[in-house]
Amino acid sequence: MTTDTLSPMRSTMPRWRIGLMALVIASLFAMPLLRDQVDWITNSRLFSFTQMFMLVALASNWNLTGGFTGYVDFGHAVFFGIGAYGTGVLMHNGWEFPPALIAGAIFAAVYALIVGYPTLRLKGPYFSIAMLGTFVAVREIVRVWKGVTGGGVGLTLPPYLNRVAFYYYTLAFALFVVAIMWWIRRSEFGASLIAIREDEIGAEMRGINTTVQKMTAFIVAGFLSGVVGGMWAYQNTFIDPDIVFIESRTIELVMMTMLGGLGTVLGPVLGAATIYWMRDVVWASFLDYHLIVEGLLLILIVLFIPRGIVGMFGDRSGTSLGELWGKWLGKSPPEET
Amino acid sequence: MRKQRKLWVLMLVLAMVAAACGSDDTADTTSAPPAATTTTAAAGTDDTTTTTEAEMIPCSTSTPDGCAGTILLGAAVSETGRFSREGKDTRQGYGTWVDWLNEEYGGIKVGEDRYLVELIQYDDEGDADTAANLVERLITEDEVDFLLGPYSSGLTMGTSAIAERYDVLMVEGNGASETIFERGFQNIFAVLTPAGNYTQSAIKALADAGAETMVIAYEDTAFPTSVGAGAVKWAAEYGVEVLAEETYPLNVADVSAIMTKFRDLDPDIFVGGGHFNDALLFVRGAKEAGWTPKGMVITVGPSNPEFAAEVGVDANYIIGPTQWEASMSWSDEWFGTAAEFAARYEAKWGEKPSYQAAESTATGLALHLAIELAGSLDTDAVRQALRDLNVDTFYGPIDFDDTGKNAGKPMGAIQILDGATQVIAPAEASVADLVYPMPAWDER
Repeated sequence: MTTDTLSPMRSTMPRWRIGLMALVIASLFAMPLLRDQVDWITNSRLFSFTQMFMLVALASNWNLTGGFTGYVDFGHAVFFGIGAYGTGVLMHNGWEFPPALIAGAIFAAVYALIVGYPTLRLKGPYFSIAMLGTFVAVREIVRVWKGVTGGGVGLTLPPYLNRVAFYYYTLAFALFVVAIMWWIRRSEFGASLIAIREDEIGAEMRGINTTVQKMTAFIVAGFLSGVVGGMWAYQNTFIDPDIVFIESRTIELVMMTMLGGLGTVLGPVLGAATIYWMRDVVWASFLDYHLIVEGLLLILIVLFIPRGIVGMFGDRSGTSLGELWGKWLGKSPPEET
Repeated sequence: MRKQRKLWVLMLVLAMVAAACGSDDTADTTSAPPAATTTTAAAGTDDTTTTTEAEMIPCSTSTPDGCAGTILLGAAVSETGRFSREGKDTRQGYGTWVDWLNEEYGGIKVGEDRYLVELIQYDDEGDADTAANLVERLITEDEVDFLLGPYSSGLTMGTSAIAERYDVLMVEGNGASETIFERGFQNIFAVLTPAGNYTQSAIKALADAGAETMVIAYEDTAFPTSVGAGAVKWAAEYGVEVLAEETYPLNVADVSAIMTKFRDLDPDIFVGGGHFNDALLFVRGAKEAGWTPKGMVITVGPSNPEFAAEVGVDANYIIGPTQWEASMSWSDEWFGTAAEFAARYEAKWGEKPSYQAAESTATGLALHLAIELAGSLDTDAVRQALRDLNVDTFYGPIDFDDTGKNAGKPMGAIQILDGATQVIAPAEASVADLVYPMPAWDER
């Protein structure tokens, strides 16, 4: 552990990097406006970007608990699901989209509060498995609670399907999430989270109220993922337990964050974008084997670039899954050099 | 230590790969087509009549000069993922129609002209996001003229909303849930009997045979719930009293508690809504509870030959609704009888057609006939023609109502007799008589 990882991130980003980011963001905002001029930009392409923005936001949220705080959550998709169902149920009952979306996210945050209190006492893999358990439990509750959720039959939402609008909603929200993560990483709150990740008992001894800090991170992540779930529900116009609560959704987020760089601000963004587009290519070229190819690529990434893309470019502020879990599986792994 | 860390991570990754591949275990690895398979020409060479007829028709893939153009169709159908098995049947069903149309029939007649058909199919992986994205791509990038449906009610729900938004017609044969047709959409048409009508023929046949009371159990998911609600409706229609209605969640391992409760009510007939595995549970549960209803109607399982193989003699006399059976007496001027369609399909694909395959072929045929009726490729004209369409096919009658459901086709019912499935209802398609009441489990 270096003092560098504990202190708030210093703002030493080189100018060119800021310029590049501004350029990317500006192009993303301009893209739908050029629909008539550029053949490549179709509604289908905008839809792909929309899905990618949602994944960027979800992976960033996952990274807040998984990467910053070191609590690897294998049930994070539950917040997405509760947000989707909260928004879906309210819209099904005549609410407008914006209030339903906020309410859905609040449900997700409240759920994070209720579940986080007992489960955040668990450490390492035990926490991961417990969260997977609560994920499955919520899916079953949704299935059984027919009067409200429509049970296994699901619910339909009014079809709106304006691809350009959803593109901007999700782009703006993904940027908002990344900005929050950037701010958290630089703040005292972020430093406390990293301290918890590196040495929870030590953090407590130094006067950090670890329970409050962990819970706050968990609730913020839950709320933000709830918003994504609500947007997804409206965009898909239909929700049922098996479409919304998919285990692989969480695994995807873990993969993306690990590829990009666990515990960094830009890692989840780069990871989500890379995997989303890589899948598009891989999927077209290796149809029958695409899941295996994806799995092999992931193995290579984990073994050879455990600190992800960001780490490859020399950013050492992140961590790796081996470091996070190593502590709880007997031996502490050596410092990455 | 570094090694040990890598070992842990490797194990995690392997677990993920296993999870990813787990959903893919039924994928069709024999055919290995490219990502986007376009089915314009193929096979048919093993059929000698095809070649001789092809020489005479002015428009076919071998004589394209006689064609006025090509109608572009698109479909997102699972090739991998949780619906890979049913998706394969769907693709093969579509392919049967496309090849017949292009090779033998001589293209779709639009006024005086003949048009070939090209079908672009993408793999939706059984995933809602992917299916939505692909349908969006088919409409906006491939610019297809019409859409054929995906496999499953859930995926049809999401994709039909996109078709509606772009005002592109989607004809489907694999989304039976009633909710699809309750959204006021103008562009979705389904050839299959909706889930609510699944038990109609069976309940009617049993009521005619003297059944007076009934109990219902169904899994709490979209399709079985529609089946259960329909059973209640048809019971009322045919004067059968419903004594109890029970639901249970997905993936239960035992329904004996429900069966014991039903036994004490002593109803004449039992109706069970679920998937293949549920059918096994119902039969075993009833036998364990020592209860022989006079009639048992169970969805999905009984019409599948594997059911009788798995359950043995206890499978006899069980009644199952079926969308289609090769032994049904439906026929048309295009594919001939149901049996002839089955023979054609088997010659082409090397396996017997499931009802998913038959309804997929019928989906293409319905669109084809509507285009000919409209005499135009205009969406509004074809939509109107679909609504006006009233035709008998090898798959059964097709007559769409205003919501897009096929109101004309009764659901069939089979009864397992001596280990074989025999169509017992509706009367116009039946090949055997209903055995009612069924003998007790220990008297077989």
